[in-house]
Parts: sequence; structure tokens; C-alpha cells
Amino acid sequence: MKANKKDTFITTINTHKKIIYKIVNSYCPNREERKDLEQEIIIQLWNSFNKYDSNYKYSTWMYRIALNVAISFYRKEKKLSTKNDFYNESSIFSMEEEKSEEETELDYHLKLLQEFINNLNELNKALMLLYLEEKQYDEIAEILGITKTNVATKISRLKLKLKKEFQKNIK
Amino acid sequence: MEALELKKIMEAYDNKLDKTLSLNLSSMEELQFEKSQRNTKKILKYRIFEVVIFSLLVIFLGWHIANNWNQTHLAISGIIVHVFVLVALVGSIGQIVLLRQIDFSKPIVEIRKKIELVNSHGLLFIKLIFLSAPVWWSYAIVAVDLFLGVDLYVHLEPDFVLRYLVVNFLLIIPLVWFFNKLSYKNLHIKWVRKTIGLFTGTKTMNALEFLNDIEEFEN
Repeated sequence: MKANKKDTFITTINTHKKIIYKIVNSYCPNREERKDLEQEIIIQLWNSFNKYDSNYKYSTWMYRIALNVAISFYRKEKKLSTKNDFYNESSIFSMEEEKSEEETELDYHLKLLQEFINNLNELNKALMLLYLEEKQYDEIAEILGITKTNVATKISRLKLKLKKEFQKNIK
Repeated sequence: MEALELKKIMEAYDNKLDKTLSLNLSSMEELQFEKSQRNTKKILKYRIFEVVIFSLLVIFLGWHIANNWNQTHLAISGIIVHVFVLVALVGSIGQIVLLRQIDFSKPIVEIRKKIELVNSHGLLFIKLIFLSAPVWWSYAIVAVDLFLGVDLYVHLEPDFVLRYLVVNFLLIIPLVWFFNKLSYKNLHIKWVRKTIGLFTGTKTMNALEFLNDIEEFEN
């Protein structure tokens, strides 16, 4: 029975693993610590697996847990860690391969976007991640615990800020 | 940055992730489940310890008040100290309730608020110490009577007692104002920030700053 539950859990997590990876990548500046955060999230998901409320989408439930764990981890670790290797050679934005001009430009845009997300505070970072995941405003509101109107206002402000940031960096 | 352009960037981001994704879920046994819960349990233990200590103090002071009911100055001093200990006890019980309510599957803002309220608990004690400034002598009178069996009050000059009462009565209003000012909502005021930082430390300060961010995010 327990093995069956574990299998279901592993299958479900595998289906949504991108959620974990994106959150870990956005909240953990230190590459060495990303495995720890990943583990923390999986443990917390496993511990809450029995309490999963089927009234919510699985991804909503997962986002809530993963973001809550990531914010706690980030707030705890940022005091200790001074290392930041978001853009080092092992980053997902590495430029090792041969690339066309368009790809290189896209990589640069990706870097700018990641930098923009990294500079947001913990809550706005969560909001931005959910927006970029193309979540509906009411689902974002449900995950974060704010009103739908508030979600819309904040997203439009963030988009404006992002636009300015890109305009500043791309001539 | 148009929506379409942003979408294109995000698609590229997703593709990159697909290539680099490496979650290892096969070794569930290796996950350190105990480590994850240790921190919350540690805080819970501290708070339970606080509740036990304050409960014992409440009982002890109640006994002291009952024993000295006929000596007005000892009874009043005991009641004053008793009230402050009760407030601290209620605060610590509230912390346990908050800790028990922390469920990571609940909305982010709700959970963050609870966590940061737990982390900023130290501020309550600082506020209580400041608020009890006009009645600090009560602590001395109760402590000396309880531990040394000496009634300090009878050795005090009546003039001193009178001056003390007048001055401290006048202090009540500014201290209540000060008490209300020491809040995360007033962190933008330099002296509030410095005072809290000086007496509570970085952990409480970070928690208060984040409470401020949460409130801003909600509005």
C-alpha cells in the first residue's frame, strides 16, 4: 500500500517536475544549495501528500507548497550565503554550444529575464513565476492568497517594469 | 516587452529546462525527512518551554498575591507583575497556535504572515519591558519579598514613593504611544527602526521587514 502511494507520488511529481525546477532555480542563488532546496520541497510535498485537497488542481497545491518552502529556504539561506552563481558556467543560460545570432540574442533576453526575476522580492518573484507559467489570474490569486484584481494590478506593474528593464539593456 | 515576445522567451526557457532537468526521485529513502521537520519542532519546543515557565510564574505569583492580600503594597505589586506575566503567557500560547496552523499547502501570503509573526515574537518581550517601565519597582518589591523574604517597601522614604508614583503616572501616556510605535508598520521611521534593531536583533528585524512587504503586497 505504502509502495503504491510512493509510486503514485513519484509519478505525480515527475509530471510536474518543471514546477519544482523553476522555483528552485529562481529562489536559490547558490548552485550547491539547489539540491537541498529541491529535497526540502519534495519532502514537504510527500509529507502533505495525504492531505491533498482534490478541490484544487494538483499544480495549485504543488505551487503553494513549493513556493512556501522556497521562500522559507531563501530567507534562511540568503543570510548565510554570499555566493551567487546564477550566471556561471553551469547555468541553464550557458553559451557553450555553437549558436546562431538569433539564439544568442534569445539567450541574452533569457538572462535579462532571469536577472529581473532574481531582483524581485520573494512575493513578487512568486507572482512573476506564476504569470510566466501562464496561470489564470484566479489560480494565481488562489495560490498566493490575494484578490484577482490585485493580481491583475501587480502583473501589469511588473510587466511595465520589465519592459523598462529590457529597453534600458537592449539598444 | 510585448506579451508575444515574452512568451517566446518563456518557451525558450522551458526548452532549456527540459534539457537540464535532473530531479532524482528514485531514491526517496535517501531523503532526510527528519531534518526538514527539525526546525519547526525546535521553535515549537522553545515556545512550549516558555508557556511552562510563564504558567509556573502565574501560579507562583497568584499564590504570592493570595498570601499577601492584607498588605496592600505587596498585593498591588504582585498583581502588576502578574498582569505582565499573563500577557507574556498569552503571547506564547498564541505562538503555539500559529505554529500549529502552519500548513504549507495553504496560500502563500497567509502562511508567510504566520511564519513571520512567529519569527518576530521577540518584539513582544521588548514591548513588555518598555511598557512596564513605570512599574519596575513592582518587580523589585515582589522579587526581594519572594526570594529574600524582605519587604522592601517599608524601607522606602514616603517622599520617594510619592515622587515615583507621580513621575511614573506621567510616563504612562508617552510609553503607551511608544509601545504602539514599535511596530513593523513604522519601520520607515528611523528611530523606530534603530530601537527595534538595537533590542531585538537581525532575525526579528528581517521578519518585521517581511511583514511590511506582505502587507504592501496585499494592498
